Amino acid sequence: MFRATAEQIAASGLSNSLQNVLWVVPVSQSTHIVALSVLFASAMLINLRLLGVGARGRPVSQLAELLVPWMWRALVVLLLTGALQTLIEPVRQFITPIFWGKMALIVVLALLTRWFAATLRANAPQWDAAQTRPAIARVFAVVSTIGWVTVIAFGRLIGYVWAYYL
Amino acid sequence: MATPAFLLSLQATSLAEFIRGDSARSAWAFPIVETAHVLALATVYGTIMMVDLRMLGLTSRQTRVSRLTDELLPWTWTAFVLAALSGSLLYMSKADTYWHNPQAQAKFICIALAGVNMFVYHFGVHRRVAEWDLSLPPPVAARLAGGLSIALWTAIVFLGRWIGFTT
Repeated sequence: MFRATAEQIAASGLSNSLQNVLWVVPVSQSTHIVALSVLFASAMLINLRLLGVGARGRPVSQLAELLVPWMWRALVVLLLTGALQTLIEPVRQFITPIFWGKMALIVVLALLTRWFAATLRANAPQWDAAQTRPAIARVFAVVSTIGWVTVIAFGRLIGYVWAYYL
Repeated sequence: MATPAFLLSLQATSLAEFIRGDSARSAWAFPIVETAHVLALATVYGTIMMVDLRMLGLTSRQTRVSRLTDELLPWTWTAFVLAALSGSLLYMSKADTYWHNPQAQAKFICIALAGVNMFVYHFGVHRRVAEWDLSLPPPVAARLAGGLSIALWTAIVFLGRWIGFTT
């Protein structure tokens, strides 16, 4: 089912004309890496602070207020460049199970981050002090870290495993 | 220019052979090391951007430059070491190819220039950071270093990804 849809997209005029411009995919992928760097570094700084690693610096509520908006901006760029790459090479993405795993994980992580930002804003004093921070903060930090690392790993590995599903 | 002998001998080691994935046993070595490289470079690039945008006076304008560099640069350096280690493993697996690859050559030149830029900044205007920690806009030398750093590191990411399309 996915394969038929992908082949339809690949045969479309827009996909076809983009496939013929050789620099689009490399430039889009490089932009994708730049954006994922902003998202990943921001997430890691917040998560490490929640875990009490490198505890120097500002309280976690200030850090999140500063960095979470950058995570959303980066995510927009990631979705746009990712959509462009999928438009040009739809078969490679749609037939690979880890592509769908990656998409599902991104949805879960985006919702989790939204929940985290809202909860932190509502309970800033309690979350800022390590002594009163609820245990769920550490759970969030661990899940978010493993989640984003997995998203990036899946993204890189799609390019290697997709041929096995042809 | 011919590939230096030490790179060729590195390429002949069993470690290089393992990463190259010649045998089915280690077919996944290269992609896994490459994934580690992406995670490390993302941390380097992301944290450097935060510092550079502050040096340009564009973000975190109420935060002292010195505070931001104290907070972020230890992560940048840790991640840079990991990126350099994983990058060396990737490089030695096909040293002869990468040595002659124009994109890889340009990438190393950009890394060297980024190093010079950082050196000039740290031993130049950053020594007097206490005098301009909260000044807006920051001194020309700081803005110049921030702008150059963004341009060079972005070029490094683009060239690095480009190598994969040319080898």
